[in-house]
Amino acid sequence: MSKKKQAQIARYRVLGELGRGAMGVVYRAEDPALDRVVALKTILLSDDVENRKEYEKRFAIEARAAGKLNHPNIVTTFDFGEEGDLAFLAMELLEGTDLRTRLKDGALATEEAVEITLQVAEGLAFAHERGVVHRDVKPGNIMLLERGGAKIMDFGIARMHSEDFKTSTGMVLGTPRFMSPEQIAGGAVDQRSDIFSLGVVLYEMLTGQMLFAGADSPQIAHNVTTLEHEPPSRRNREVSSLLDFVVARALKKDPAVRYQDAYELASDLRTCLAELQGRSPAEVKRDTTKTVKLARKTDSKLPAPKAAAIAPSTRLSLCRQFDSRAALKRLAAAGRFDRAALTRTPRPVGFLRRVCRDAGPRLLFVCSLVAAAAGSYIAFA
Amino acid sequence: MLRPVSASFVASVAFLRIQDFASRSASEQARQRAQLEAVVAVTTAELAPASRIVLDASDGVVIVVFANPQGALRLAERALSASLAGLPLCAGLNHGAVRVLGGTGGEGQAMVGDGIAVAASVAQFAPAAELRASRAFRDALAEAAPGQEASLVPKGAASDASLRSHELFTRDRTELPRRRRTYAALSVAAVVVLLGTGIGWRVSVHGKEAFVADLAAKYRATTVQGERYVRGLVQKVKFQ
Repeated sequence: MSKKKQAQIARYRVLGELGRGAMGVVYRAEDPALDRVVALKTILLSDDVENRKEYEKRFAIEARAAGKLNHPNIVTTFDFGEEGDLAFLAMELLEGTDLRTRLKDGALATEEAVEITLQVAEGLAFAHERGVVHRDVKPGNIMLLERGGAKIMDFGIARMHSEDFKTSTGMVLGTPRFMSPEQIAGGAVDQRSDIFSLGVVLYEMLTGQMLFAGADSPQIAHNVTTLEHEPPSRRNREVSSLLDFVVARALKKDPAVRYQDAYELASDLRTCLAELQGRSPAEVKRDTTKTVKLARKTDSKLPAPKAAAIAPSTRLSLCRQFDSRAALKRLAAAGRFDRAALTRTPRPVGFLRRVCRDAGPRLLFVCSLVAAAAGSYIAFA
Repeated sequence: MLRPVSASFVASVAFLRIQDFASRSASEQARQRAQLEAVVAVTTAELAPASRIVLDASDGVVIVVFANPQGALRLAERALSASLAGLPLCAGLNHGAVRVLGGTGGEGQAMVGDGIAVAASVAQFAPAAELRASRAFRDALAEAAPGQEASLVPKGAASDASLRSHELFTRDRTELPRRRRTYAALSVAAVVVLLGTGIGWRVSVHGKEAFVADLAAKYRATTVQGERYVRGLVQKVKFQ
C-alpha cells in the first residue's frame, strides 16, 4: 500500500489509522463532498483475476445490502467502492470502544450484558428482515458507544474472505469461537446462525469466560458442535434461571429448536431485563419502530427438541435442586456386594424364582401339585 | 469430599420430558421447569437418597435409579399424573450403563452413558402423559419383581435419529388383573384335569360300580370318624 493511497482513497482524505484487522486497515477519513468524517474500512483484493472478479461482485452485493440497513443499532454504511487493489467501505465513525476490549476487564454487569444483547438482537432482527445475515457476530464487531448503546458492525462482508478458504471437509478457517455449528460444518447459514453467535457473546458477557475454548481451531470447532454449555448461572450467581433459558435456547445446536428470529430473542431479553430491573414483564416498553415481523421459516409450533439430539453427547449435569451426594458417595465407596448389585445386567428369570416370586405361576404350580397328589391318591390308594 | 467415581454402573433411567418445551417462551419454560422440579421433589421423596441421582436435561429431568426398577416405574407414573395439573410431561424408561464424570465433589459432576441415551430416545416416542419403556427396562423389572413386567405391553418398535431401533413398551394397568384371572382359571383347570385323570384311572381299572361303592364307603367312614372326633371334642370341653 503506497503512501499516496493512504493519503487519499478515492474521494476520501485519510486523516489517520483507526485499526488493523485480518482483512485490511480501518482509517479515519474525511469525505470532502459532504464535509464529514467517516470510518473507511479497506479490504485488500486478491491478485488472482478470476477470484477478484467474483469477490468484487459479491462485495458489491453485500455492501449494497448493508447500505440499506438504517437502524440505531447498526453502523451505517455510506459508500463503497474500489481504488487500485483496495475495496473500501465508508461507514459512520463511532466514538466508543468495542465489546472485545471491554470484555478484557471481565464479565459485564448482568443488566448491562442483557441490555447490549437486546440492542444487538434488535439490530440483527432489522437486518434479517431485509435478508442480510451478518455471519460474524462477535465482540470485536459490537461497538459500545460513549453516549450509551451498542451498534453492530461489518454486516455481510466480514466472512467474505474466510469463505474463500474452505478446506476439503468444508471447514471454514479462522477462529470458530463464535460460529454456529452449521457454519462450522460449512453448511448454509441463515438468521439462526447469527442468533447462536449472539448467544455465545451473551454467555461470555455474563460469565467473563470463553464458552468454547480450545488449544486450536479444530478443537474449538469440535467443542462448538458437541459441547453442551454449563448454565451461566453456575458461573455467575446473578444470572436468573430465566436468563439461563434464554441462553440455552439461543445456543441450541439444532437450528430448528433455536430461536427462529432475533425478534423472538429480543422479546425474551426484554422480559429478562424487566425481571432484572424489578419490573413486571407487562410494563416492558415494546419497540414501536419495529416493522413487520419476519415470517418464520418453520411452523410456529415447532417440535420439541428431539431427545435424540441430546443422545449423542448424553452428558448431563447433576441437577442443583436435588442433592445427589448420598448416591455419589454410595457409588464411590460401594462394597463388594453392593458393587455387584450395581453393575449386574438383568438375567432371564428362572423357573424356581418365577414360582417363588410371581403370584400367578405360584398359584398354578401349587394347585397343580396338590391336585396331582390328590389325583394320584384317588387313582392308586 | 467425595472420591472420584470412574466405574460404570447399571441403573434404571427415567427421562421425564416436557413436550414442546423448545417452542415455548422463556418465561413459560421457566414456569414449566419449576413445576417439573416440584413434581420430581415429590416423586423422588419415596426413593432413598442413596439410590437416585437427578440430572438436568435441556427439555426435562433425568432420574437415575440404582437397583430399583420398580421404584423408577412408580416414580415415572406418579410424575405423569402431574400432567393432569397442566404440565405436558411424558416419560422414557431404560435400564443401562451410566457413568459419573467430573471432579471429586458434587459440584460440576455429570453423568454419561448409553442408559441415558436410550432413555432419551425412548422418551422421544412417548405421547403426552404416557410412558415408554425399553426392552432392557422390562427385563430389569422382570428380574427385580417377577410378574410386574407383564404390565408393560408391547407398543411397537421405532428407530431414533441415529437409526438405532428400540422395542417399545407401554404401561397397561389392566394387564396385571387379567393375568391374575388367567392364572386362576388355569389353576382351576389344572385341578379339574388332574383330579379327573385320577378318577378316570381308578374307574378304568376297577370299574364304575366298584369306584362308586368304594367312594360311598370312604364317605361313610369319613363321616363316622368325623362325628366321633367332634363328639370327643365336645366331651373334652364339657369336662373342662
